[in-house]
Amino acid sequence: MEVSHSVKERTIAENSLVILLQGLHGHVTTVDLRDESTATGRLTNVDAFMNMRLAEVTFTDRQGTITQLDELFVTGRNVRYVHIPDEVDIRATIERQLQVIHRVRYFGGRDKGRKEFPRAKHK
Amino acid sequence: GCAMSFLKRFPPPAEGVRHQQPDTEAVLAGRSLGSGTLYIAESRLSWLENSGVGFSLDYPTISLHAVSRDLSAYPWEHLYVMVNAKFEEEETKEAPVAEGEEDEDSDDDTEPIAEFRFVPSDKSALEAMFSAMCECQALHPDPDDEDSDNDYEGDEYDVEARELGQCDIPSFYTYEEGLLHLTAEGQATLERLEGMLAQSVSSQYNMAGVRTEDSIREFEDGMEVDIAPVVAGQFEDAEVDH
Repeated sequence: MEVSHSVKERTIAENSLVILLQGLHGHVTTVDLRDESTATGRLTNVDAFMNMRLAEVTFTDRQGTITQLDELFVTGRNVRYVHIPDEVDIRATIERQLQVIHRVRYFGGRDKGRKEFPRAKHK
Repeated sequence: GCAMSFLKRFPPPAEGVRHQQPDTEAVLAGRSLGSGTLYIAESRLSWLENSGVGFSLDYPTISLHAVSRDLSAYPWEHLYVMVNAKFEEEETKEAPVAEGEEDEDSDDDTEPIAEFRFVPSDKSALEAMFSAMCECQALHPDPDDEDSDNDYEGDEYDVEARELGQCDIPSFYTYEEGLLHLTAEGQATLERLEGMLAQSVSSQYNMAGVRTEDSIREFEDGMEVDIAPVVAGQFEDAEVDH
């Protein structure tokens, strides 16, 4: 199970329902887009900004034309709705994802764990 | 070639080019713009025809991209890119409308959409092109995202300090952690409160459904009992379960 390598992204995920979407990796999911097209495919990645990557997609554009796409990436901004598949236990998925994040965070052990927020940005 | 007013001459991007694909045809809404090189750079997506004119797309304007190998939908495998913008096509009026892709007149009140297809002569490059675009898109998160409270880079939050109780930042303790931090007074308060709770719960069950002084009852199924709360409002929203 993949968790972002970015401290900020893990924190965003932990504090929003994006964490639920990240638990849907591998599930066939239907996503309604902002322009009223829809995409149904196997979710392969969701990041903290709700950008979503799907494989083996059936895409229905806003005019109703259906096409098959091997892979699709849609920006979080353009996602209107995600249909959580029926077989998914929402609470268990969230709990499992939280455990994954905590495993990453506490990986170094009690006294060796990393600071979870960067000090002032070095930009 | 055709006279597309948005095409201009510019040098190819020099920095942050994650992927570059020569011999790639660019198609806008069904019309070919010619053959050139696609540059997938961190700052923007650019395509330059072999003659040196082309166009760029900013990632925030790209709503989605995809790899299409469905030859019944379009005869060549390609990278499909949907953009939230309108691109002028001077020849639109004379050209026949193909497959409804250019039928944007009926959507005046919705936002503009332009559909680009990048058709590489090397089909095996599509995966790399797709992935490079995913990476670059992720570098441009939506600045207008008003839903999220993404300001996590302010205060320092030291996880180890929290565990060792050295930190002022309010947080939720687990039960075990919380016990460790109780003073003697806190411990006494906790015991008192827990005692009160235990007492009220047991008397609640003794009172429930019983109007006699007989306090010994067996309840097989909690659902059959009308539970009268001992303290007004204390258990009002408790669900009778099992």
